[in-house]
Amino acid sequence: MAATTIATEAKTTHSTSRRRRSVEGKPFFAVAFTALFFVLLYVPIVVVILFSFNSKKSLSVFGGFSNRWYVQFFNDEGLQSSLRASLMIASIAMVGALLLGTMLALALERVSSRPARAVGTVSLVPLVTPEIVTGVAALLFFTGLGLKLSLVTVIIAEITFSISYVAVIVRGRLSSMSGEVEEAARDLGCTSWQALRFVTLPTIMPALIAAGLLVFALVFDDFVLAFFTTGVDPQPLSVRIYSEIRLTISPAINAVGTCMLAVSVLLVALSLVIPRLFGRKDSSLDLISGG
Amino acid sequence: MTDTARQENPVADAAAIDDQPAIRLINLTKKFGEVTVVDHLNLDIRRGEFFSLLGPSGCGKTTTLRMIAGFSDATEGTIVLGGEDVTSVQPHKRNVNTVFQSYALFEHLDVEGNVGFGLRRKGLDKSEIKRRVNEMLELVDLAGRASAKPRELSGGQKQRVALARALVNRPEVLLLDEPLAALDLKLRHRMQVELKEIQREVGITFVFVTHDQDEALTMSDRIAIMNNGLIEQSGTPEDVYERPRTKFAAGFIGTSNLMTGMHSEAVLTLESGLSIPLPGHPELTQGAAVSIAIRPEKIWMAEFDPGMVRIPGTVSATVYHGATTQYLVDVAPGVRLTVLEQNLARSRHDDRWTDGDTVELGWKPEHVVVIG
Repeated sequence: MAATTIATEAKTTHSTSRRRRSVEGKPFFAVAFTALFFVLLYVPIVVVILFSFNSKKSLSVFGGFSNRWYVQFFNDEGLQSSLRASLMIASIAMVGALLLGTMLALALERVSSRPARAVGTVSLVPLVTPEIVTGVAALLFFTGLGLKLSLVTVIIAEITFSISYVAVIVRGRLSSMSGEVEEAARDLGCTSWQALRFVTLPTIMPALIAAGLLVFALVFDDFVLAFFTTGVDPQPLSVRIYSEIRLTISPAINAVGTCMLAVSVLLVALSLVIPRLFGRKDSSLDLISGG
Repeated sequence: MTDTARQENPVADAAAIDDQPAIRLINLTKKFGEVTVVDHLNLDIRRGEFFSLLGPSGCGKTTTLRMIAGFSDATEGTIVLGGEDVTSVQPHKRNVNTVFQSYALFEHLDVEGNVGFGLRRKGLDKSEIKRRVNEMLELVDLAGRASAKPRELSGGQKQRVALARALVNRPEVLLLDEPLAALDLKLRHRMQVELKEIQREVGITFVFVTHDQDEALTMSDRIAIMNNGLIEQSGTPEDVYERPRTKFAAGFIGTSNLMTGMHSEAVLTLESGLSIPLPGHPELTQGAAVSIAIRPEKIWMAEFDPGMVRIPGTVSATVYHGATTQYLVDVAPGVRLTVLEQNLARSRHDDRWTDGDTVELGWKPEHVVVIG
């Protein structure tokens, strides 16, 4: 069968035969593989979402739709305090990382000495370090200093971890902004601070928003770093879910998971959409991937 | 300029005696580490003139401009702006504005916001800002684009916004850093004319940095030719073109036929042995090394006038340029002169000279420029 196809195609031009093979020959494998990838990736998530609406207590049999697990989640004081803790951690980490990361980015873009380039490279290390290494290191650091593990230590660790993301995204935007732009601001009557306030920050605002949302999403559902650096009470939501699962498996966890998923997806979507609203074609993800 | 300011400022006092320059640079020097980029520059730029700093890249012209604007600190020397020593004054307090090479527009603001930026910083009231911005947009022919964002504009339009944004502040001096370099040739020629017209209209002193000699010649009231951090020569376009004082000036503006030899008794003897009559220069010492420059269009190939210096040569190449034809003529081994003839009657040109023809070259003694 394949032989006859090739034989007939041999009569057509070379380029056509190429195009046809890519449509008829390879796709089956490519499509199947891609489909399998997405099934494996998303089916568990879909199951979690579906079972969060299960009317039965079972985690394997679906007995019809109900919102009882959401009600239970919102009435569970322990989960609620963990949710509040996670929201607080993510908010503070977002602000802290934005502040420090933007300052780092500004410094790295302004100064072009050899040490500055070295700092620039080193600042990327957290992006590639396995999170568990960062987590253990943070734990050792805090206990070495004699700091009591609490939400404060989680926040410090999360800020440290997130600075790189902010710096990378903001630098991407800054590097496309000519240094003459700030000089123009000073030329037109701004002090250095006013140039930052009235020109630089508004120019990089889309990148700041994207970086902030991304950091919030990353920190909000981060488990590894939070697990190593948190105290006992209240625990971040991700850590709380983990400890609950070890004791009893309640379908309310599905409801919690679905809520977290919704928040994360919303934030990442916003971080992609907002730069486009400002009319920029390159989004934060393009910047991360170096595009 | 108040009297108290004059008393406190001896430089201003001296300058105020007769027409005070808009800018006076005194021994202005900039060093980056060991490298001297601007070397003890002394220069007066008059009020209301279109002044060009012309030179190759790396000659220090942009650094000079940046020091006048305040973006770069002078290593040594003084910058006097409108009678006031501004050498250590912050850029935002200097009464100069800059048009940047990259335009440096504020992307988050529309055209109106960009142009009104400086006035808002000064705290003018809104109706006044609006009035002056509109007036300026009218001047640069952008009245219909007030609410466009910079990214929606073409290169030429961005250039006008940058110009309007600077001019609207009515600075003492407008600094322009190669503002036309990024435009294509046709647009550049149009903007040259427009820029000159706008300058005449507003009457503000323009200091224009360029490496393009045509641009400098056509637009400027005066030109300073810079090389290696020094001013080689300054003067009107005609001055620097017709009477170059250094070899660099002669070579950088237009093309020049440069010849160096020994002078004695009104004859210049080149290394190759060629003797060129050099009448009318009694000031030259006998036996001194002398360089002369002759512009290609000042050399004739026919219809000589009496009193012309005439030497024979052989045509080695002809290049047709449309309005003109360029001939390369060998007058001695290793001595090749460029001659530019206008194609006044193209039909006649056909039976003029081709490669290998023996010709006679002639020039008027007064068209020979003696350089050092």
